[in-house]
Amino acid sequence: MAPTLGYLSLWLSLFFSILQFLISLKNKKLKLINISVHGLLISSLISFFLLMFSYIISDFSILNVFQNSHTTKPLIYKIAGVWGNHEGSMLLWILVLTIFNYFIFKLHNEKNSIFILKALETQALITMGFILFTIFTSNPFERIFPPQENGLGFNPILQDPALAIHPPLLYVGYVGFSAAFSIGIATLTSNEKVPWYNYMKPFVVTAWTFLTIGIALGAVWAYYELGWGGWWFWDPVENASFMPWLLGTALLHSLIVVEKKQSLQTWVLLLSILTFLLSVVGTFLVRSGILTSVHTFALDPSRGMYILAFTFLLATYSLILFGTKSKKYFNNNYFAFFSREGSILINNILIVVVCSTVFLGTIYPLLVETFTSNKISVGEPYYNSTAVLIMIPAILIMGVGPILSWNREEKSKTLKKIFPSVLLTSVMTLLAFSIYQTYSLVGVIGIILSFWIISNNLVLLLKKKAGHSGGMILAHLGIGLLILGITGSSVWQEEKIIRMAINSETKIKEYNIIFKEISEIKGPNYIALRGNFLVYDDSKNIVTKLKPENRFYPVKNNFTTEASIHTNLFRDLYIVLGEGNFKDGWVVKIYYNPLVVWIWIGALVIFLGGIVSTAKNLKKLKSSQ
Amino acid sequence: MKKKLLKFPLIFFLSILLVFFYLLMIDRNPSEIPSALLNKNIPKFEAESLFKDKNFISSKEFGNETTLVNFFATWCKPCLDEHVYIKRFSDEKMIKVIGINYKDNPKKAIQWLKKLGNPYSNVALDKNGRIAIDWGVYGVPETFVVNPEGIIKYRHAGPVTKKIYKKINLIIEDNK
Repeated sequence: MAPTLGYLSLWLSLFFSILQFLISLKNKKLKLINISVHGLLISSLISFFLLMFSYIISDFSILNVFQNSHTTKPLIYKIAGVWGNHEGSMLLWILVLTIFNYFIFKLHNEKNSIFILKALETQALITMGFILFTIFTSNPFERIFPPQENGLGFNPILQDPALAIHPPLLYVGYVGFSAAFSIGIATLTSNEKVPWYNYMKPFVVTAWTFLTIGIALGAVWAYYELGWGGWWFWDPVENASFMPWLLGTALLHSLIVVEKKQSLQTWVLLLSILTFLLSVVGTFLVRSGILTSVHTFALDPSRGMYILAFTFLLATYSLILFGTKSKKYFNNNYFAFFSREGSILINNILIVVVCSTVFLGTIYPLLVETFTSNKISVGEPYYNSTAVLIMIPAILIMGVGPILSWNREEKSKTLKKIFPSVLLTSVMTLLAFSIYQTYSLVGVIGIILSFWIISNNLVLLLKKKAGHSGGMILAHLGIGLLILGITGSSVWQEEKIIRMAINSETKIKEYNIIFKEISEIKGPNYIALRGNFLVYDDSKNIVTKLKPENRFYPVKNNFTTEASIHTNLFRDLYIVLGEGNFKDGWVVKIYYNPLVVWIWIGALVIFLGGIVSTAKNLKKLKSSQ
Repeated sequence: MKKKLLKFPLIFFLSILLVFFYLLMIDRNPSEIPSALLNKNIPKFEAESLFKDKNFISSKEFGNETTLVNFFATWCKPCLDEHVYIKRFSDEKMIKVIGINYKDNPKKAIQWLKKLGNPYSNVALDKNGRIAIDWGVYGVPETFVVNPEGIIKYRHAGPVTKKIYKKINLIIEDNK
């Protein structure tokens, strides 16, 4: 019953999206628009929750549930299982599209009618495309006969709380940019004079905020679950989320310039289009199987062809519109290089360069394969020596940008303005290095950049000068903390891989680690070997007990490692239990990861800043209406 | 000048999509890594055989005819899926197939072959994974085509599917 209804409901959403598209095309019958927007939202909610229901009751007459679930799976992972696979995640994608569709509709009033209807038309087109794709290539409600006794289970590596909420947050990010895209298209096609940037901004801030925390949770998952001691691997799929984030960042900041100065409008329109197109290209790269990465979805060539055709349609439509209609948004308000808008523009350019570098690295193996018969892969060294390097000036400017005035800044005044933060940065840096006394060029640069951002924003916070948004200060502070964590964990990480017998001892930095025992334990749907490690510091005081696990999931016949981590504000101690036996001992990987926790704190602070800023922008938009 | 610039994003984007289109159209497997051993002699090795009465000495096993080498394990689900094709090589195509039992329990392997049928002329036991390392295998199953001169002509990582089965047959035809 549930699967039939769910499938029907999916067709119903297709109907409503077509209805919305056709009616908004003609710009009339507001009542019908009202019906289609609500109908679309409700029908996609129904199909999404019916699939979730089928997962919860373990309805193994549905192929998708059979392939991805099992009765022994804990409830939270049954629910998360809905979007832990390709078909179900498309349903979530559609749901988020229709929610944003609803919010665009909510902005409608007499004054902006044609403009909002134009945006709804594009949004309906995008939604239609994704529903058609889901129905014809990835139907989550497909049945199997006869119904199965039990499911094949869920990839155990995905059983992680961070990963359970990672996709929904990420999709709010990707899909949020679809609203910016639709508003950008509406701006290009409608001739009405509306402050379109005021409409676009809350969507961009929301999308950016959620994309940030979504990416961060992906990194948390990689750090805790993969057991490789790191949290970012420049994997194509990570890049696929990082590129829209970069362009989204540029979009967010140049929107502020448009708001204040009415300049850069053409540029912002282009960014709004490209950001969403890159999100769709990212989806293509992940789901078509054209690249290999740690994120594998069940692959089917017809899917790749469909998304490619759809991307082609969106790209041609939007970029032709941009090529022909964006001229009217050109203006010649040239502005001073040395001003707040000047700093934003320079940073925009740097961010776009970083994004292009990452894009090149991601597709370079494909280009090489197309034009030669060689296969190559592009890894961390490339990104470290290109993208990371270009970010250094961007971060320097980011620190000083918000302090500068709009229009034109007097150079003599600037020096006075930045003096406190220069002083603070120097003091903090000297203090940090006199305590730790470990030097490396990259480390020093990273720490200075981090303290530079932090002190500039602390100064702003103390001054509480009017005109500085609290959300911005928070988000920038978060970036400063993030850089601190990234620098610490990548420059001063120490790694030790040894074979340890029971009761043997090893040393990493100031810690002595004793391998006490190994025991067998039983979890809800796995059995595991659990090592028991005692950690002592220099003065022989016990610091912590670490218990890494080596889990075996019988349903999937799959092993996973659970790293055990002791965190404090200065460092993580990270132990992974490898293979071994009682006779020869076990392979143990021990990492000393300085400052990792600041990455997570930083991301959280950025997220909070984003939320504050979203609320403020929504309020502003409401009061202007 | 400006007008032309505005068309640039379109041209750029479409050319990227064209590359993607080409890659989707051609027959390719993105997880396929060209083996460093391709067109080279097989790595020599000696090992215990799964069948009690035999020993496994690679120099005696290869040569004279085209041979398939199949790395497998009973704990590996895709190995079970591909087994039907491996059997078709030996039963229908009369091709010599050598199995390499990777990090497995020999008793289970014997039971497994009794139940599913044994396509292998001989099976080497790779208890600690050394043979797999020498062959550059990074996971089971993997299948190699070795020509009568003992030179590796093809490597497939992952289970043999219908498509791969046909492809391997073509490669065997070419190397006869």
